Amino acid sequence: MSEEHHIPPSYSIKRWLFSTNHKDIGSLYIVTSLYFLFVGGALALLVRVQLTVPNNNFIASSAFNQAFTTHGLIMVLWFLSPFAFGFANWIVPLQIGARDLAFPRINALSYWLYLFSGILLLMSSAAGLPDGGWTLYAPLTTLRFTPNLGLSLAAGGLILFIVSITVSSVNFITTILKMRAPGMKLMQMPMFTWTILLTVFMMLYAFPSLLAGTIMLMGDRTLGTMYFGSPQGGSLLWDHLFWFFGHPEVYVVLFPAMGAIGDIIPTFTRRPLYGRKYIIMSFIIVALLSFGVWGHHMFVTGYDPLVAKIFTVTTIAISLPFDIIVIAMIESLVKGKVRLKTPMLFVLGSIALFIVGGITGVFLGSVALDYALRGTYFVVAHFHYVMVGGGVVALFGAFYYWYPKITGKMYDEGLGKAHFVLSVIGFTLLYFPMFMNYEMPRRVVTFTETQWAFTNYLSTIGGFVFGLAQILMLYNFYESSKTGAPAGSNPWNGFTLEWAVPSPPPQNDFDVTPRFSEDGTISLPGLGAFANGGTHTMSTAHAEHGIMESHLSQWPVALAGAAFTLILGILGVTLLPTASFIEGMLYLWILLTGFILGGLGLYGFAKEKFVSFEDEEAEGWPFKHVARVRMGVWVFLASEVILFGTFIGAYIFIRAGTLDWPAINTVFQIQHGAINTFILLTSSFTAVMALVYSKRESKAGVIGSLLLTIFLGLWFLYNKATEWQELFHEGHTFDSGVVMSTYYITTGAHGAHVIGGLAAMTILIGGALKGRHMGEHGSENIHNFGLYWHIVDIIWIFLFPLFYLI
Amino acid sequence: MVSSTSEIFQPLFDLFVWLGILVGVVVIAIFLIVIFKYRDRGSKTPEPEDTPILGKVPEERGHPRSVVISLALSIVILTFLLNGTFAVIDTLNTPPSGTLNVQVNGFQWGWKFVYPNNYEDTVLRVPKDETVILKIVSNDVAHSFGVLEYKTKMDALPGRTNTIWFIPKDTGEYNIVCFEFCGVGHAYMKTKLIVMDPAEFQDWYSKVKPAEAEHPVQGASRP
Ligand code: HEM
Ligand SMILES: [Cu+2]
Ligand SMILES: [Cu+2]
Repeated sequence: MSEEHHIPPSYSIKRWLFSTNHKDIGSLYIVTSLYFLFVGGALALLVRVQLTVPNNNFIASSAFNQAFTTHGLIMVLWFLSPFAFGFANWIVPLQIGARDLAFPRINALSYWLYLFSGILLLMSSAAGLPDGGWTLYAPLTTLRFTPNLGLSLAAGGLILFIVSITVSSVNFITTILKMRAPGMKLMQMPMFTWTILLTVFMMLYAFPSLLAGTIMLMGDRTLGTMYFGSPQGGSLLWDHLFWFFGHPEVYVVLFPAMGAIGDIIPTFTRRPLYGRKYIIMSFIIVALLSFGVWGHHMFVTGYDPLVAKIFTVTTIAISLPFDIIVIAMIESLVKGKVRLKTPMLFVLGSIALFIVGGITGVFLGSVALDYALRGTYFVVAHFHYVMVGGGVVALFGAFYYWYPKITGKMYDEGLGKAHFVLSVIGFTLLYFPMFMNYEMPRRVVTFTETQWAFTNYLSTIGGFVFGLAQILMLYNFYESSKTGAPAGSNPWNGFTLEWAVPSPPPQNDFDVTPRFSEDGTISLPGLGAFANGGTHTMSTAHAEHGIMESHLSQWPVALAGAAFTLILGILGVTLLPTASFIEGMLYLWILLTGFILGGLGLYGFAKEKFVSFEDEEAEGWPFKHVARVRMGVWVFLASEVILFGTFIGAYIFIRAGTLDWPAINTVFQIQHGAINTFILLTSSFTAVMALVYSKRESKAGVIGSLLLTIFLGLWFLYNKATEWQELFHEGHTFDSGVVMSTYYITTGAHGAHVIGGLAAMTILIGGALKGRHMGEHGSENIHNFGLYWHIVDIIWIFLFPLFYLI
Repeated sequence: MVSSTSEIFQPLFDLFVWLGILVGVVVIAIFLIVIFKYRDRGSKTPEPEDTPILGKVPEERGHPRSVVISLALSIVILTFLLNGTFAVIDTLNTPPSGTLNVQVNGFQWGWKFVYPNNYEDTVLRVPKDETVILKIVSNDVAHSFGVLEYKTKMDALPGRTNTIWFIPKDTGEYNIVCFEFCGVGHAYMKTKLIVMDPAEFQDWYSKVKPAEAEHPVQGASRP
């Protein structure tokens, strides 16, 4: 399939299923996320209708709980980030002068995983949507208190979603760090690209904590482990895991919007951004600090007062860099020529709303005020001001800004302005009254207090105004895509590189790669500089020849489908004890299909000859001499370290609260662990041997060492299996308490990584048999696999003493 | 003021609100003025000299001075707020030796109060002007015990005992509400706090009080 270099036309189904081109994937992300916006919005309106008047009986409590929980999950996870990443997909490669992302097929895989994860979430509606709040606070979410299958399906969806986020982050980091146009320094990147870079870093290191937490929750729900049902783990453990992810997540949804603001303001004020350096520095500081403020969500959990004070200080400190950003953005307008077009209106509105959101955030950062405000509508108002006001409103601005680029058509300016005005009015009516309800508890299906009646009434009206305004946007974009005036390549007189290509851009974006010179001048070799005031742009004719990259692959969607089927199968298997024979066979069949599909998908993916864009001269400082895949592997492995760090953190947390932890050599026999440590260490050695042989181009040596490594891996797993079996015989099963919970889940996750390594080696051997993976260049894959394998071994070296020696 | 906690909350909250409004209004006003003043009025507004153009990375501009000034201002304001916060939180964290210890049990969906003499009730009766110390636990999922008018709350978590204290300053009925989502009955997990005249309280308590002496609350504490 990949031999075809031209993407099928836009009415072809094949195009939308198999395209790997960043622009197509971007469009898929935008459309899918908008769908989720309207689902989430409908749920929010249900919530608002129920709360219009006191003592209302519009929907029952259980339906209400499902509505606000699913609303929160969808809006934060399935709408906001994917919406922003629709634009990131479209625009980042254009802004840095790359023709696609580093790994186009992985990019398609991210999208399809995202779609399937959303399907899992929506499928849960058949069994009851999740209803424990988007924070999924334990132990309410354990099987004992929430027995319905819906939550398990949603948790399965969440796991797929996190996998999607992780591979997509690796992709963007590699792209931005390694594929900039020759000469483009990091500091010359446009603001949007900068914030996307920081966003993906935050995602990569925040989501593993949620992934580990969700795996533990699934373990509790399906195997009977006791992470959250026990006093040693319980609510506090979940709070830590969730909010370690949750706070950075707030900036994950905010940063892309602020980056778009940073590009839109200079375009519409006709002046460079004020204090760009300081803004970038502030973003970096926020990204780092974001991992050190999560405790402000736990002020009234009764933890140590000193810790609470520290989190108060870090939280209030994090408002300082935002202060710099906002002030600099306002100063950017001074002495400019501020053109109040729709994108700019949304951006300015967003800044104003964000100011309110930021100021009220300082309230919530104060532990003393939090005793009163925690769990009230003040919080609901605050986070909507930040996420909807600061995030969504600016992204709508970005939508208007890039719409002409994406479609080649101009939207209707009048309708756009009407959309803006209605949105701001609706927003304010909707959320401002919630600040005044700073006493009213959130997540309540109804209330009796008459002093909250008027404000709630206003909120509901505002909700409908806001919701209807968004339909105006859809209408505008739909109509304009057919009847809009042609936009031309640079309708706004923009200065970043996406405006240098035609609208919509040709399949390969840039025919010639732009070059950055020391003084910041950009030129197109062979086509001259953008000489006279930046009017020289590329023509479609130029861009259509010399296409050599692949843009189609059927394997990403197949692999994502396999992952989806596997999750369904696994969930089905956990129902086996109570299922009828027919149902049981069905579940097993689904599981088997998932495995087969996954195997075929991996095989096809690995075997496919896919040519992706590679420019030898691309700017990759400071990683210029690191191969692209190697870079991706490094970044990915760092997130694996966080994943296991979270499992180990949970272990330490639980162990600190468990007085009767079994003595050494009672439950866990040292010799089991010691033998396995020895085996894995040896296998690291044989993996290195494979690399040495491949550099020497010895096919037999490579295959021999890999087979030896596989053998050692299998031996390790065999030992593990016998050990588990013995433990089971002694009555130490999954559900025998916190000690066994941490043991089975942590070493089980590690074992799964060993299995993953075995699969990778099998594929490598297949290639080696055909004579691939040899020589200095060909050894790259073996080297990358080796890195993975060493990390898996090193993780074991941490797990061994934790369970067997102390 | 109805209680010691609302007494210390209100001035701090007011400080935040007024400073917040001040900062918000000033910043947004400047913002709007700037937008209005520099709006594009066609040929009346000259094209700035440093207009970013396609094909050239825009020049860096901006002076550290403005960053330093706005940072300094913010730090002054935030230090103010931090100081206030720390003073209040220290008070909240150091209960005076209490005269009345009550254990609060949250469950799906209601509250149970256990007095020192093991008397149990579903409403909380306390005497005015005396320190009340609550030991809060949960029997099942996470809840949060809060007295609406008292502006204080504390999570009720399974397997842990959390403490808050207050001194009621006025007699009357107040609303006890659950502030952490805990399932379908969450919205209805309400009861009353009844603050009584000390003499009346003693009278009531002696009637429900068994003969034996007071003994400390037994919380389900962390192992
Ligand atoms: C567009 C982006 C939006 C985002 C990112 C967002 C985010 C959230 C989140 C995270 C929650 C918390 C859910 C929970 O408590 O588990 C929530 C609750 C809520 N949202 Fe939104 N929301 C958005 C739009 C809206 C809109 C348009 C409305 C009104 C029409 C709305 C009304 C509400 C209401 C009423 C709640 C319930 C609060 C509670 O009971 O605690 N939201 N939202
Ligand atoms: Cu936070
Ligand atoms: Cu509750």
